[in-house]
Amino acid sequence: MHNGVHEGASPTNGDAIANIGFILGDDAVAVIDPGGSAREGRQLRAAIRALTDRPIRYVILTHVHPDHIFGAAAFGDDRPDYVGHAKLPGALAQRGDYYLRRLREALGNEAEGSEVVAPTVLVSDRLDLDLGGRRLTLRAHGPAHTDNDLTIFDEKTRTFWLADLLFVDRIPVIDGSLVGWLKELREVTAIPADRAVPGHGPVSVQWPGAAEPERRYLEAVARDTRAAIKAGVGIADAWRHVANSERGRWLLFDDYHPRNVTAAYKELEWE
Amino acid sequence: MTRSMAIFLLVILTFGGAARAEPTEAERMARWSDLRHAIFGDRVVEDAGDLVAVDAPARAEDAAIVPVAIRVAGTLAPEIRGFYLIIDDNPSPLAAHFLLGPIADAREIATRVRIDDYTYLHAVAETADGRLYMAARFIKAAGGCSAPASKDQALALERLGKMKLSLADRSKPEEPINVKLLISHPNSSGLQMDPATRNYIPADFMQTLDVTYNGQPIFRLESDIAISEDPSFNFRVRPSDPTGPGVINAEVLDSNQRHFSQSWPVPAAAQM
Repeated sequence: MHNGVHEGASPTNGDAIANIGFILGDDAVAVIDPGGSAREGRQLRAAIRALTDRPIRYVILTHVHPDHIFGAAAFGDDRPDYVGHAKLPGALAQRGDYYLRRLREALGNEAEGSEVVAPTVLVSDRLDLDLGGRRLTLRAHGPAHTDNDLTIFDEKTRTFWLADLLFVDRIPVIDGSLVGWLKELREVTAIPADRAVPGHGPVSVQWPGAAEPERRYLEAVARDTRAAIKAGVGIADAWRHVANSERGRWLLFDDYHPRNVTAAYKELEWE
Repeated sequence: MTRSMAIFLLVILTFGGAARAEPTEAERMARWSDLRHAIFGDRVVEDAGDLVAVDAPARAEDAAIVPVAIRVAGTLAPEIRGFYLIIDDNPSPLAAHFLLGPIADAREIATRVRIDDYTYLHAVAETADGRLYMAARFIKAAGGCSAPASKDQALALERLGKMKLSLADRSKPEEPINVKLLISHPNSSGLQMDPATRNYIPADFMQTLDVTYNGQPIFRLESDIAISEDPSFNFRVRPSDPTGPGVINAEVLDSNQRHFSQSWPVPAAAQM
């Protein structure tokens, strides 16, 4: 696993800001998120090849966000199945080109080779992948962090790879549905596992305890944003009144919190 | 096609979204001068001073959802019959043209817009006798036109055309009724590209919105891609019968010739 840094995308970090990695079976390898740029994808591929020459059969794209998927092109020669949520193609159609332009702006030459790669295998509910003596169970979730979140459960080690359904230390980003995310959190935290892998944070955390701060933050945003809407506070000012108890508990709070509240406001004002 | 719809198209063709270096202040002034001539011809556009203000956050949290309010001094408000909202550096700068009916209270009207680059916002208020008052504000936001805001595409489709109306407390019949109207619509810009086909996703936006109270116009809006997804409007109305009851109706026509319409009862003032 690669442990992403808690920064925005830059030429120095090559957009290697998310936790990414791979799982090795007797017959094949599954990549879980190829990384934020072709450069990071190539580094991941080299790390796999240093360990094994088994075929890289699956590249799992956990969701549409650029820090997780722009390394996909680095695996083109392996001809893997690119596995994504059934709603990932729609999200890529809507956002892929924009994300790629933004990546090129942020990384300059370091973005070279990064491309939008569409999934070739879609998951609308569940899908089991057999790596040879090792079965991965993929779950497609309802709108939460995004509207196309996948999680992966490795039965052999009872490891639950939640990708960006779980943020630890770094402030969660709401880009799907706040209400939906709280619902999905209730469901995934009921699934027992020996450890979890968050999309951002330490590469291995205790489960389900590690989800508690995220649940607390999302609940606070939902509660206080509803109150702000009811009190007639406008969308631009609402963040000043929302989840102030969470400030200081998250990295990059001031970078993402106001935007999260804007998203929450836009969702909750329809209630 | 109305005159202002023709202007929307004209400015897209004339100024359409070429990448360029950060403009100097002189270039920004020249651009406003060009836009002013394209929209208002040779008419005099006066500096509004304290009479009109355009309010928006100096730095937007989300460039696809930037709240903007136009405010008019109480002394001038009864004379105002329309507003133009111009986002100078957007691909289509004339974001909105509001035409107000006599029962509209022009002291405040607000919406949310997409902003593509650091830009001046200009609000021009037009009086019944044709005077134009201009207010300006600089705003730092970028990427709002090409950035798709839609977070849950299935929900957006399911909710398309639905509207929600909220009325503020109406305990004082002498005060105008404060109304907030939400319309579920992607209002997409057509500036997003499908990487699979390399085609631009077709634009799909609200062209006109007509809001009435008991059949009398509060305002008509002529707009295009600069209004945010799920358009939102705050406005004030002074019904000819101030204690009510009444009915507010909103009617949308979009660029795909879809019609959406919805009505809401406004209880009599004493009952609220």
